[in-house]
Amino acid sequence: MESSHDNQDQHTNDLPARLSVEDVDVDFLPIIYDIIRGLEKDPHESSQKPSHSQDISQKVLELHKKLELAKEQIKRLPGVEYSKEQQLDKLEALRTQLKLKRDLLLKYRTMCTFDIPKA
Amino acid sequence: MTRAASNMSTGEKLLAIIEDISLISKEIIENTIAMKHQKLLGAEQVLLTELLVLKDNELKETLKLAAEQAEINQKMDLLRAEVDKLDQDIQNLQRQLKEAEQILATAIYQAKQKLQSINRANKRPVSSEDLIKFAHRISSSNAVSAPLTWQPGDPRRPYPTDIDMRVGFLGRLSDMPLNGHMLQQPNSLGDMHRTGHHPEPPASQQNQFAWHPSGEIHMSVGQGTVPMDTRNHTKDNEDVEVMSSDSSSSSSSDSQ
Repeated sequence: MESSHDNQDQHTNDLPARLSVEDVDVDFLPIIYDIIRGLEKDPHESSQKPSHSQDISQKVLELHKKLELAKEQIKRLPGVEYSKEQQLDKLEALRTQLKLKRDLLLKYRTMCTFDIPKA
Repeated sequence: MTRAASNMSTGEKLLAIIEDISLISKEIIENTIAMKHQKLLGAEQVLLTELLVLKDNELKETLKLAAEQAEINQKMDLLRAEVDKLDQDIQNLQRQLKEAEQILATAIYQAKQKLQSINRANKRPVSSEDLIKFAHRISSSNAVSAPLTWQPGDPRRPYPTDIDMRVGFLGRLSDMPLNGHMLQQPNSLGDMHRTGHHPEPPASQQNQFAWHPSGEIHMSVGQGTVPMDTRNHTKDNEDVEVMSSDSSSSSSSDSQ
């Protein structure tokens, strides 16, 4: 739990403009496991130990926070606004555009041969 | 929650998976609490757990995809920058071409005008000798510039005299019916040229009002500088003789 806290703090403290995928914290399973284990460990006396149930609800809250944080981070990931196919299409379109523009420039450059009209 | 993945963006897919994980974990936790109280043994729970693991794997896969897409995105950024650069180049080039076109168009227009005037000049040539004679006649009476030795009191004119003014176009405006035709510069040139070839009778009459006789008059009036005057006088006279053999400039205006 301590380590996950540290992780969260690190993410909220320095927010780079462009996140990389490695920065996204998606380790949900350990927390879920912790929660389930906490619930199963003490099936009968959970009501009598307020600190224990508090601990569990704390973890549920943490899980929730972590999920929300992951969502926020994903929204800031670069290049995920398209599916990969769409993205590749757009890449191809850009390449075509670049080629066309290069051709146009080349055309302009070779065009400048003037015919001198006979007076 | 498994939607058609092909139309969804990777970001939406990731968000959906996280949403799924959130729902599944909530379900599992609720189930666990329910099981705790009712002692239910859930095959459902097992299924949910498997689904959770599946979703987790899917999330990791999709994140890998997102990493690839981030790389592609970087490439696209580079391409975009290059496209922008080319765009600017093209715009610059087009602007320069436009400027060049304008300059060339102006040059061609001017060249055509020049050709026209050359053609016009070729049709009606004026001999350089004639030009020089006229120039001599105009300058010999000091009407254009004062003589080198001129000083205040010197009767030779660094300025047009009354008679000169009267003989000129402006003086004639009052006592001659004019057609505006005559006032135009190129026409008067043409007149000069024409009269150069056909000297007309009024020329001799006009001589008394022409440059040289007037100069003579003034010289005779200013007595203080006689020696200088006589020298110029004789020189002027020579000029007069040369010039009066041709038509005078005033006669050219008369011919109209």
